[in-house]
Amino acid sequence: MISFYNIVIRSIEKDDGGLSTGPGFIATGEERLFVYFMEAGMDDIAVRVEKLNKSYGKIQAIKQLDFQVAASECFGLLGPNGAGKTTAMKILYGKARPDPGADTVISVFGFDPRQQSLAIKALSGIVPQQDNLDTQLSVNDNLLIYSKFYGISTKDAKKRIGELLDFVELQDKALVKIKELSGGMQRRLTIARALLNNPKLLILDEPTTGLDPQVRHLIWNKLRDLKTMGVTVLLTTHYMEEAFQICDRLIIMDKGKKILEGHPRSLLSEHLELFVMEIYGISEMHLQSSPFEDTKDIRFEFFQETLFAYSNDTNALTSFADFMQITDYHVRQSNLEDLFLRVTGRSLSELQ
Amino acid sequence: MNYNKEHTAPAWWNRIYSVWYRHKRVYTSDFASNAFPPFLEPLIFLGGLGLGFGAYIQTMGAINYLLFLASGIIMTSSMYTASFECTYGTYIRLEFDRVYDGMLGAPISPTNLIIGEIIFAGSKGFLFALAVLIVIWLLGIISHPLSIMAAPVGFVCGLMFGTLSMWVTSIVRNINHFNFYFTGFLSPMFFFSGAIFPLENLPRILQYMAESLPLTHVVRLARAFCVPELLGPHLFYDLGYCVLFIALTGWLAIRGIKKRLID
Repeated sequence: MISFYNIVIRSIEKDDGGLSTGPGFIATGEERLFVYFMEAGMDDIAVRVEKLNKSYGKIQAIKQLDFQVAASECFGLLGPNGAGKTTAMKILYGKARPDPGADTVISVFGFDPRQQSLAIKALSGIVPQQDNLDTQLSVNDNLLIYSKFYGISTKDAKKRIGELLDFVELQDKALVKIKELSGGMQRRLTIARALLNNPKLLILDEPTTGLDPQVRHLIWNKLRDLKTMGVTVLLTTHYMEEAFQICDRLIIMDKGKKILEGHPRSLLSEHLELFVMEIYGISEMHLQSSPFEDTKDIRFEFFQETLFAYSNDTNALTSFADFMQITDYHVRQSNLEDLFLRVTGRSLSELQ
Repeated sequence: MNYNKEHTAPAWWNRIYSVWYRHKRVYTSDFASNAFPPFLEPLIFLGGLGLGFGAYIQTMGAINYLLFLASGIIMTSSMYTASFECTYGTYIRLEFDRVYDGMLGAPISPTNLIIGEIIFAGSKGFLFALAVLIVIWLLGIISHPLSIMAAPVGFVCGLMFGTLSMWVTSIVRNINHFNFYFTGFLSPMFFFSGAIFPLENLPRILQYMAESLPLTHVVRLARAFCVPELLGPHLFYDLGYCVLFIALTGWLAIRGIKKRLID
């Protein structure tokens, strides 16, 4: 549906060189149909970014980035450290300024962060990478202070704080000082803080980095709940499992550029074989003298001392292992991490 | 929970107030230890300098020495509290605790944030001036009712050193650089601004230098309210200096800190 709307919008853009809205536009039946689709399309797109560039001195952090986030979807920005994910997020709410460019488009629910960052922040909730709660205050006070930032009256704030502490399962901790909370609790509280204003858009920068599996799963469930309540969720992560679990769509970034875009499952099926076998301690030489050198059933990748053998057929993989007289092997389904490493490269860049 | 209601940012004065409210809330969360120093400090000064020097020096110019000293340290107290708030305090919020990163995720602009913080520095200047006044009233050194006006002058003093310190904070590259500001600028100013001894007998060049320092002007204003014979229209010149100083350093502070807040 979304992509159809986008096509319609694009066609209008091409016709007259810009989006035309307003009373003068409605005329013939055909155009009226366009207006209908266009408005539907505008409503459905929460975030639109086109030809975004950002440089810090000589380092270009973001190069010609394009992406769109539909309303009520969970969208992921994936990439290694230094890929430009955080910078892209910061630009969306005006914490970072993009490079000037006449054809750069940044729109968050119709607002441009270069001029209207306050309007964007009023309708968004931001969860920064680093927790920055006021550690000497209680859980309650932290939320009360932020409710003032959003202009919520004390009476409404008290009710809302109660709801949110229930939501993130911290209801017993209202009067506890931040210092006494665990890392996972602080993270949940930071998320609750970002929800005070009932945001339409929730922006999370690496929401579960450094947390234990229980808390991570709890946060994933909360994000799924929010999505069903109509909140658009935009997150960065370098946990592929996280992206696979909760993202409807994602882009993979590397060195400031978008490399891949799509639904996690379809990205996998389009770009990778179903199964992978990892064998440690095999070099390219062993392979060259074997009958598997030119096989079409298996694709081989080497990284340092490890061989990655990809195939859609598990039998092909096991017979290869048997031939090489390897008993200690492990065949598993390929996952997003394999794809990620394949497209971003296995070796470290200087920014990592 | 309704996630599709109307969202608008609060009005600018509410945004500035909410920043001030945040600082107040954090400051008063440990009120016992925060309220102690402003009362103790004047006692130490008056005890140390007043009892010590006071035994030898009865009058300073035309004024009783203890009265001269007491009316001077109202402002130095405001100066130091505002300066600490907007140097170490601001720097820690900016670089270590990352408090501003969170606040700027809410509908608050960098300018709102900086102004709110400077007004909080002014409020602390007021509070510290009031604390000194209470001590010197209780000691019976000053009794004139107009002396209460020294507290609002403390607010002005807090604004001046809030804006100046914030500008300094926008320039420093690490927290140790504040040593230059405190030892190289504030400490000499403490002595050469007429707070501890009068400027009249200093060499002409030092008098001009003293006249260019911000503390000199607020000390003159505060002292005039404590010793009403010193009141006069010349104080408008001092007030004018304060207004211009706040406007200029405030502009520099906003410009400088903004650069550090927005990538």
